[in-house]
Amino acid sequence: MLEIRRLSLRHPAPLHDIDFACTAGEVTVILGPNGAGKSTLLHAIGGYYPAAVGEILLAGEPLVGIDAARLASCRALIEQHPARPAGMRVADLLHIGVAQADRAMLAQALDLCGCQTLLARDCASLSGGELQRVHLARVLHQLLASKAAQRYLLLDEPTAALDIGAANQQLAILRQLAQRWQLGMVAVLHDVNLALRHADKVLLLKDGMQIAHGDTAQVMTQSRLEQVYDTRLTELGDGHGQRAFIAC
Amino acid sequence: MSARTLLILLASLTGLAFFISLLAGEHAAARLAALFALPGHDALERELLLALRLPRVVSAAAAGALLATAGLAIQARFHNDLAEPGLIGISGGAALAAALALAARWPTLAVSIAAFGGALAALLLVSHLARGRATATLILAGVAVNALCGSLLTLLISTLPDGALRSVTFWLMGSFAGSDGRQAWLLALLAVTVTVALQHQGRFLQALQLGDRAAFYSGFNVGRNGAVTIALAALAAGVVVSQCGMVGFVGLMAPHILRRLTGLHLPTLLKLAPLAGALLTLLADLAARELLYPAELPVGVITSLAGAPFFLYLLTRKQPTHA
Repeated sequence: MLEIRRLSLRHPAPLHDIDFACTAGEVTVILGPNGAGKSTLLHAIGGYYPAAVGEILLAGEPLVGIDAARLASCRALIEQHPARPAGMRVADLLHIGVAQADRAMLAQALDLCGCQTLLARDCASLSGGELQRVHLARVLHQLLASKAAQRYLLLDEPTAALDIGAANQQLAILRQLAQRWQLGMVAVLHDVNLALRHADKVLLLKDGMQIAHGDTAQVMTQSRLEQVYDTRLTELGDGHGQRAFIAC
Repeated sequence: MSARTLLILLASLTGLAFFISLLAGEHAAARLAALFALPGHDALERELLLALRLPRVVSAAAAGALLATAGLAIQARFHNDLAEPGLIGISGGAALAAALALAARWPTLAVSIAAFGGALAALLLVSHLARGRATATLILAGVAVNALCGSLLTLLISTLPDGALRSVTFWLMGSFAGSDGRQAWLLALLAVTVTVALQHQGRFLQALQLGDRAAFYSGFNVGRNGAVTIALAALAAGVVVSQCGMVGFVGLMAPHILRRLTGLHLPTLLKLAPLAGALLTLLADLAARELLYPAELPVGVITSLAGAPFFLYLLTRKQPTHA
């Protein structure tokens, strides 16, 4: 289990008293308006920003006591704008962060992310969507090649470069991955409807404060989202349990 | 071109350039006989070959290997294709510290240590000034540090007597002419040490091409590995400056040519860079000796004549980008 216990941070964005947990096979989505501290929280969970107060535990062990190499075997993160290193072949990019390459796992990761045909390409020549898929395959290889008992994937706006169909497909793939390999996932999203459809748990964040955390259906109510985003919303339903929100 | 093919090609060309450089000149046939101690060879020629020409060629090859490796490591660490020891102030800092040590009549090893200190101080200053700013800031900060070191060096030189002035000026322009066995050993040993040590940073430097933060998430202690990389690059560039003066642009040209030929894969580039650097300086030293024979040019003049247009070409081709 990945436990965030009463976490507070001052820099680069303030966070106050964040407290939640993510378990294996579960997708947790962090939602909130711009400047709420979503990316800062994700990078704190990844161990990049040390907690000023509180602690983060990975399988019961404080994150600060785990060295970078061991940490990389049990958690990986895709940044909001993943790098596009000119001159680097996709095949080489896929081995970054992997101490011992695992061909079988890499083949599965490539298959799931649809990157088999991209191996010989220069990263600079990839489209936004292709780049996202390649980086997803890279971090999957990083996690799956390790034999860590618990593995977590952190994603900062993984659908930012994608159109609505590709974004939906991407999140469906991520969900499938979480269940197939029992990966715990924490993703920052902007689109409340994508979160509504694909998240198991949702954490609502505003001005660095945790507004709510829990099961998606329970947390994502109209009134709570209106409070978080400071805007009027209308809730739509298809009569079969599918919900969506649009701004008025 | 595959990395393996390039490695074989570069090793062959470097070996050939080493051999030609060893024998080139007026008495090439006599040197060849002396080198292999053929029957009837001139004993004096053999002695001169082993005492003067061999150390010079070894020094040139080792210095080139060190400069190219240092250039590649710095470019990778700072995500800046245009970073080069001579351009970002490392050589300037090393030259000033080495000149001060020379003026104080310190022994050879102490001069090298002082040059390493000067190189490291300049590199830390420049990287501190450029931290969090646009990639071009690194080059601009290097220009400022170079200008400062150059002024202080001129001030120092102006206090020297005429004879010392001439030798220091020639040293500053870069030359392998005065190489002796001790210098050749020092540079060769350092080239092997730095090359092997930087091979261990290959995976880190490759991850760094995704950015400092991504390198951390890929399992690297960016602070520690970065410090090791910087220290090795400063050691390489500093000692070369202290022993051979300013041999500019090798650290820029070699990595660029290799990246163009094999792509961006740091573990491979770190294997190839020493060979490419050695090849460039061996050819430059050969040109410095032969172009105006019997007069000799400083090797730094040759590398700058080739490197400065190369730098301008890179500038016009694109903006400094993430490596």
